[in-house]
Amino acid sequence: MIKYRLIIIVAVMAFGLNACYYDNVEYLYPSGGDCDTSNVTYTNDVLPIINSKCTGCHSGTAPSGNVKLETYNDIKASGENGGLLGTIRFDNGWSPMPKGGIKLQDCDILKIEVWQNQGYPNN
Amino acid sequence: MTKRILVLSIVIFSSIFAFSQKEDEEVKFVEQTFSGTRVVIGQAVDIAPNGEMHLDIQHHFGPLNSGFYDFFGFDQAATRIGIHYSFNDWLAIGVGRTTIEKVWDGSLKVRVLRQKTSGGMPVSLTYFTSMGINSLEWADNTRTDYFSNRLTYTHQLILARNFGDRFSMQIVPSLVHRNLVEKTIDDNDVYTLGGAVSIKLSETIDINAEYHYILSQQTAKDFNNSLSLGIDINTAGHVFQFFLTNSQGITEQHFIPATSGKWTNGDIHIGFNIVRSFTIKQQDYF
Repeated sequence: MIKYRLIIIVAVMAFGLNACYYDNVEYLYPSGGDCDTSNVTYTNDVLPIINSKCTGCHSGTAPSGNVKLETYNDIKASGENGGLLGTIRFDNGWSPMPKGGIKLQDCDILKIEVWQNQGYPNN
Repeated sequence: MTKRILVLSIVIFSSIFAFSQKEDEEVKFVEQTFSGTRVVIGQAVDIAPNGEMHLDIQHHFGPLNSGFYDFFGFDQAATRIGIHYSFNDWLAIGVGRTTIEKVWDGSLKVRVLRQKTSGGMPVSLTYFTSMGINSLEWADNTRTDYFSNRLTYTHQLILARNFGDRFSMQIVPSLVHRNLVEKTIDDNDVYTLGGAVSIKLSETIDINAEYHYILSQQTAKDFNNSLSLGIDINTAGHVFQFFLTNSQGITEQHFIPATSGKWTNGDIHIGFNIVRSFTIKQQDYF
């Protein structure tokens, strides 16, 4: 009896390990070395980060936590109440985002900081 | 690939049907080491009884320190709904869906050793494995997306012992493998060592505690260990579990390697599990 359970365990593990990859975003999608924040724009930098990391939950008719990040005005409003950076920097008092996932890359956080410091240009 | 799945399923099903003869009648096993198939938020050593399907409804609210505006986390709940079914005394298969990262999960729980009430085997051992599929839409069109990037695997060996009528404990070494992580220094494989205890206060009420200690260096730097304290209320057909935890994640892949809350900061989440059991296959008593 126990022998057959072990066979199943080994088969499942072998099957599982076969599909294992050891990838990371930095290696798989290189952004070209150093973090360049000299020319941060809403369309080219901020929006792609928000779209890939936030709008999966924060959009539609019932966005998570009632925070919607679909349009420029939504994102600007979130920046102005401190939530946008507070959550992705894992600051105290903010619920860390992405929820249950891994923190954003430092460069992405920096780009959003730069954009916020410039006063949320819609460019 | 399909050929391999076919062979694997033949191996699994032939072993189920060919070797489901009755165990020795005189052997008495410990029926319930813990009162549910979860201790608090993580897997317990027990599997659902033969032929029963369990419907799990799990809720972890947002952090208590989010204040009155979010009604202490009420507005930021994470939810999972899932079912699992026991084909026999030792194999359960489950599927579920959780709100975080829109993850679909499939799991397999195999009982390897079973504690006997007197003499013989002193401990129970169960192997748990699950695969999570992140189903968020790809958002960055400039990237080549691979399906493998969506997958996360969890493996757990659950070693447990029941001491008399009132006290049970278990040790759970876990491995969570993520196919894709964000940075080069992040761990694809996260190893943790977990433990859980349960004290039975009465026939219907238990109190439980569960802790997962992160062994992998980089993950231990970025995230916190998961600690959960809970109370179980058992009624016929239902188990209600109420708890406090610093993990908002519900599935193993979220709460084991990616708990960001800290108890000392007040990042405490109220949560509950409701388990309803349905008898699908009638037991053959004759």
